[in-house]
Amino acid sequence: MSTWRQFIPEWLSPAVLAVFVAAAAVLHALPYVVALSPYDHNQLTLAFLFIATALAWNWIGGFAGQISFGHAAMFGVGGFAAARALQMQVAPFWVPWLLGGLVAGAYGLAWGHPTLRLRGPYFSIATIGVGEATRLVLTYWQGFTGGASGLALPINAQLKYSLYWYALYFLALVAIASYAIRNSRLGLGLLSIKSDVEAAADVGVPVVFCQDLVLFLSGAVVGVAGGIYASYFSFIEPSDMFGFDRSISFVLMAVIGGVGTVFGPGLGAVVFVLLRQFLIASYPQLYLGLYGLLLVLVVLFEPLGISGLIFRVARRLRPHRGAT
Amino acid sequence: MARGLELLLSAVLLAGLYAMMAYGLGLIYGVLRIVNLNHGGMIMVGAYLGWYLHERAGIDPYLSLPIAAVVGFATGVVIYGGLVRYLPRGPAGGVQSLLLLFGVWLVLRNVAYLQFTGNDQAIRTDYSTKAVVVLGSALSLNRLIVFALAALLLVALDLLLTRTYLGKAIRAVAQNADSCRVAGIDVERIYTFTFGFGTALATMAGLLLGTLFPFNPTFGAGELLKSFVIVVLGGLGSVLGTAVAALILAIVEVFAILLLPAYLTGAVGFVLLVLVLIFRPGGLFGQRVLG
Repeated sequence: MSTWRQFIPEWLSPAVLAVFVAAAAVLHALPYVVALSPYDHNQLTLAFLFIATALAWNWIGGFAGQISFGHAAMFGVGGFAAARALQMQVAPFWVPWLLGGLVAGAYGLAWGHPTLRLRGPYFSIATIGVGEATRLVLTYWQGFTGGASGLALPINAQLKYSLYWYALYFLALVAIASYAIRNSRLGLGLLSIKSDVEAAADVGVPVVFCQDLVLFLSGAVVGVAGGIYASYFSFIEPSDMFGFDRSISFVLMAVIGGVGTVFGPGLGAVVFVLLRQFLIASYPQLYLGLYGLLLVLVVLFEPLGISGLIFRVARRLRPHRGAT
Repeated sequence: MARGLELLLSAVLLAGLYAMMAYGLGLIYGVLRIVNLNHGGMIMVGAYLGWYLHERAGIDPYLSLPIAAVVGFATGVVIYGGLVRYLPRGPAGGVQSLLLLFGVWLVLRNVAYLQFTGNDQAIRTDYSTKAVVVLGSALSLNRLIVFALAALLLVALDLLLTRTYLGKAIRAVAQNADSCRVAGIDVERIYTFTFGFGTALATMAGLLLGTLFPFNPTFGAGELLKSFVIVVLGGLGSVLGTAVAALILAIVEVFAILLLPAYLTGAVGFVLLVLVLIFRPGGLFGQRVLG
């Protein structure tokens, strides 16, 4: 029995911890060591944010099995709440982000508490309604969102540059939270709800509380990401934040990477960001259809996405041990 | 008072179309336990089909309904036979078919966008702006025709489901697919037919909607939501329940225009959905959809 093992919780595997710390250190040092072009700097910062949102989407969509097509609502609500607070310039810039996250989480709870009693497909359709209703109302609510012309934010170039690290630390927190949720009682509760909601309720899992809590957390993270995203562009406008494309992007990142796996959606987000860059440059009028085709192909041939492929390879390499 | 009566009449006329639109979604869910997320996509396809046939071939949109039915049915059979058939069903499989059909919807949207651009279109005929006077209030001729056609199709569907062997088989499979296999019903074939019927209904509803409202490739998302509200409220397997639920939605929508600014009326369907979920999660009639 080694002594250092006592200092990390038993559900945390040392290998995961080592990979995590190494990755965080490398990404932290990267802009100091390599001269990143503004384009690469930009892409990495946005990738951190999207990985974080994909992981958070997966808490409700993957862990609880409640696919949300309406997470753009929280992304936008969080973004706009943060933007309004930032414009007041009374607190350090990260306070508005947290505030945006809280508002977004509360908003998620407000529509989620009644609709989460729907299971599976019915919940998903309700979320389409949430997304559309939020988009409509906030696009026309000019006093809050500035309408179609949007809001400009007081972010200077130096702060914008440093957002790389803020996005990175934010991602690190979200990754830790993903791992912790999956391995906690909450994660087990969600897993049982996903498998059979009635059986879960019968054995004493607080179904309503678990789902509400995880939707709040997921909404809050996506809301904070919305705030950082808006800060990065020093500008925010409703069609970008609330668009249906935005909601689809969260779903697609998780599906490509592997819905319900802990870190798969993060991989999916990386692939998604690269893919989107390529598609927008080469086939701007085809990207929606290609996303759709990708969804169809993943569902038909590898429901766990990239993670499923990795599991397959791992199983081939170690046939005597179950990879999952 | 006269204004109120006029609105009520227009709500009734709208409800006929809503009921037909929702029935396609409810039928597929009732039999296959799959939510056809591509429902909105097929509504959009129906609208463009009617528009295209009218613009290019000069066919009256109402006369092209049979074409929409055939195209919709064939598309449904292809989507079921080519894609949906391979997916698992039940609680775990629901998510997969949902994502798959959502993907199909995105592809259809993109195809419509490439083919017809993102501009709003409308099916305009010589009689589009004609009105007739009923009970002292002027009603659009189009809306009357649409109501009559939708009601006719619903009655025909009800007769098909209750009076024919195929209809009995469909209802039997909805109740218990395993027993049907034992009784010698080709369940796979019934699934294919049902998916085709539901898709054909969506396509025809889309064509009729296209004669009343402008549309673009994103058309159908709101209609999917409305269909969903109606199915939850009205329950499964009851034409009457669907019709009453459609009437409730139409009345709420029509009167919301009086009270709310125009941009908020799009959110009415969703608010109604939440209210239904809180107060009547079991729906009003027929078989419960939830829990």
